[in-house]
Amino acid sequence: MTNDSELTHHSVHYDGHHSNQMSQRKYQDGADVCIVGAGAAGGVLAHELAQAGLKVVVIEAGPYWNPQLDFASDELAMRRLGWQETRLVDGQDPLRLGHNNSGRGVGGGTVHFTGVFLRLHESDFMTRTIDGVGEDWPIRYQDLAPYYDKIEREIAVSGPDHFPWGAFQGPYPYPVREPISANAQLFREACEKLGMESVVAPLAILSGPFDGRPPCINRGFCNQGCMPNAKYSGLIHHIPKAIQAGAEVLSDCMVTEILMDGSRVSGVVFSHHGLTYRQKARVVILAGFVVETPRLLLHSATPHFPDGLANSSGWVGKAIMPHSSHDVYGRLPEEVRLYKGTPVLALTQHYYETDRDRGFARGYTLSAHGSRPVSMAGAIAAEREDGTFLWGQQLREAMLDYNMYARITLVGEVLPHPENAVTLSGLKDEYGMPIPKVSFSYQENDRKLYKHAIGEMNRLIGAMGGTPEHVVSDTAHLMGGCRMGRDPQTSVVNEYGQTHDIPNLFIAGASTFVTSGGANPTNTVMALAARTADKLIEAMQLREV
Amino acid sequence: MSKNSRYPAYDVWAEHTHWDDHTKQVVGSRRSPQVAYQFFSHSEGLLVQTAASELVNDHRLEVLTFVTQHLDEALASPIGEAQRKVGVPPKKQLYRWGLAGIEAESQARYGTGYVALKKEEQQAILQEIAAGRTQAKEEWSQLSPVDFFKRFLRDAVDAYYSHPLVWSDIGYGGPAYPRGYVRVEKGLTDPWEAKADDK
Repeated sequence: MTNDSELTHHSVHYDGHHSNQMSQRKYQDGADVCIVGAGAAGGVLAHELAQAGLKVVVIEAGPYWNPQLDFASDELAMRRLGWQETRLVDGQDPLRLGHNNSGRGVGGGTVHFTGVFLRLHESDFMTRTIDGVGEDWPIRYQDLAPYYDKIEREIAVSGPDHFPWGAFQGPYPYPVREPISANAQLFREACEKLGMESVVAPLAILSGPFDGRPPCINRGFCNQGCMPNAKYSGLIHHIPKAIQAGAEVLSDCMVTEILMDGSRVSGVVFSHHGLTYRQKARVVILAGFVVETPRLLLHSATPHFPDGLANSSGWVGKAIMPHSSHDVYGRLPEEVRLYKGTPVLALTQHYYETDRDRGFARGYTLSAHGSRPVSMAGAIAAEREDGTFLWGQQLREAMLDYNMYARITLVGEVLPHPENAVTLSGLKDEYGMPIPKVSFSYQENDRKLYKHAIGEMNRLIGAMGGTPEHVVSDTAHLMGGCRMGRDPQTSVVNEYGQTHDIPNLFIAGASTFVTSGGANPTNTVMALAARTADKLIEAMQLREV
Repeated sequence: MSKNSRYPAYDVWAEHTHWDDHTKQVVGSRRSPQVAYQFFSHSEGLLVQTAASELVNDHRLEVLTFVTQHLDEALASPIGEAQRKVGVPPKKQLYRWGLAGIEAESQARYGTGYVALKKEEQQAILQEIAAGRTQAKEEWSQLSPVDFFKRFLRDAVDAYYSHPLVWSDIGYGGPAYPRGYVRVEKGLTDPWEAKADDK
């Protein structure tokens, strides 16, 4: 073993199907539904649709991980959980991609997410109506509420008995996690001093045994892949259950084109170990996240759809949104030890809703967030908000105080803007597909919002008795790029993720978000996927698609 | 700020018998790095090691050898860069040109090669590159010195803070599977974690 980044994994451990034997595919003569991407959305859909008796094939670009053999308690080695293929980034605030916001492999981003499991608020679905910014969603909170309930129960989300913000006030299916880390304790005490309510974070991480899985042992490596299987991921929950219900999962298979038969989709083309295969299906669902889904649509243009599939509106790839996710590292007079425990164990949504006195629309969540040496050192060295670098003796001395630091992280709403977009560049990847270009620039409201949040994070560090030392500029998550809406001229899909232009082509996942909200998106991604599944099952039974 | 480790007696590697096999293998391999380069020439390797030592402010050969090896492997690897800013050359080109740029700055300012300079001079050159104040025009004609510096700093820091000796210096408990952390609240430590030396 000499190479941390060497691509080794254990795909063949999956007994239900050996993904390297393409001649023995279960549904090679045609499936009912082909899902592209085995992440948060793809896993829920595969499970629901297979349970309903449909023939489901899930095609995933990355490996079928075995947590015990493929994961390690190591930051550098586990970068491989992110989508590492090169994308071009552009704009005034070029995004960091890869492990920062995407997944590659069965389970997708859920394999390395922090597990923070929040709902959007009622106001998130109607920002145009309420605040005159962004756009309204074609659905309201109440449309999604039963699906939030369902998903949270299904994966035994742990959380407080009372959640003080938004329409859902708790309780959560499983009790809150305890104990919480020193960083989370300090955060909660500081919130109280400043008159902000805070809670132990609702988490897709077990606080007690569930479904043959143990509660969390506070190892702290959520972002590197959970080894005890205490944290939810599609890899260990929805995908195995989908396979049990009859679905087939093809891992290490990169979909390179959507096949058309006239005005309808007929399947996809994928590449596996250098060879090309076809998978026919009555319905195709793209669940490949905010960059790959638009890329595939744009790349699959035909004479009938010259600007890319499902793109008569011109909105494919447009209005992508990260969350602003600045961090403040504060030095305390006592040890904090940011490496211990689940990274996010406390948060506040005190500033979630619009308050015009603050000078900007919308709001944010603040979380107490653990950190490990590579991510902290890299961030304070090279991603500083003031644009300077910290290196040499100064960096070394700061990191010798690693255990004295507390950290707070922002999840801030970023408003949709059409110039923040995924397009195709002139460069090609190993499959001959155009490399995507991802452009992003903060707009005025976004900047005011995160500056306000940095001020509040600094105040919280002060209330801990600490000194804010390092403000880091970062983003988290990605949303949008194939937004939903009622008007086919200004949106790509309808409220169920069905494309306006092609009735048997669906899109699931964060790419259909209309606005970003100011909260971690995974719960909403999965609830929307469950809603799409319900609609699709009904429509397929009625032969409507 | 501390100038020395708060935990002089702590050795995180001494705990490796409690780690899972894969983690043991990943971290253990960093303690005995290879020195054969796949991407760097011999002189580039020496330059990287010398400059990286200034970036991370450490001169322990075993740590710097690993940092250099990690950079060499990352550059030889076909694995993508996750993202690359428009206008920034691909990683291999960025490093080839950037390293030539460091050498050219050294020649332009001091009339000699970078590795032969005094530490203060080596630091001064990195400082100028970080600020984009370069003198060698031709070597920097196709890349921004600041883009190169940022990438080099980030890569060196990634590797450096992945070495178990550095984990011990900073008191990072590190891998904890299968045993986990039991005492996570304020002021508590598990028996095997680093304990500050108050003297």
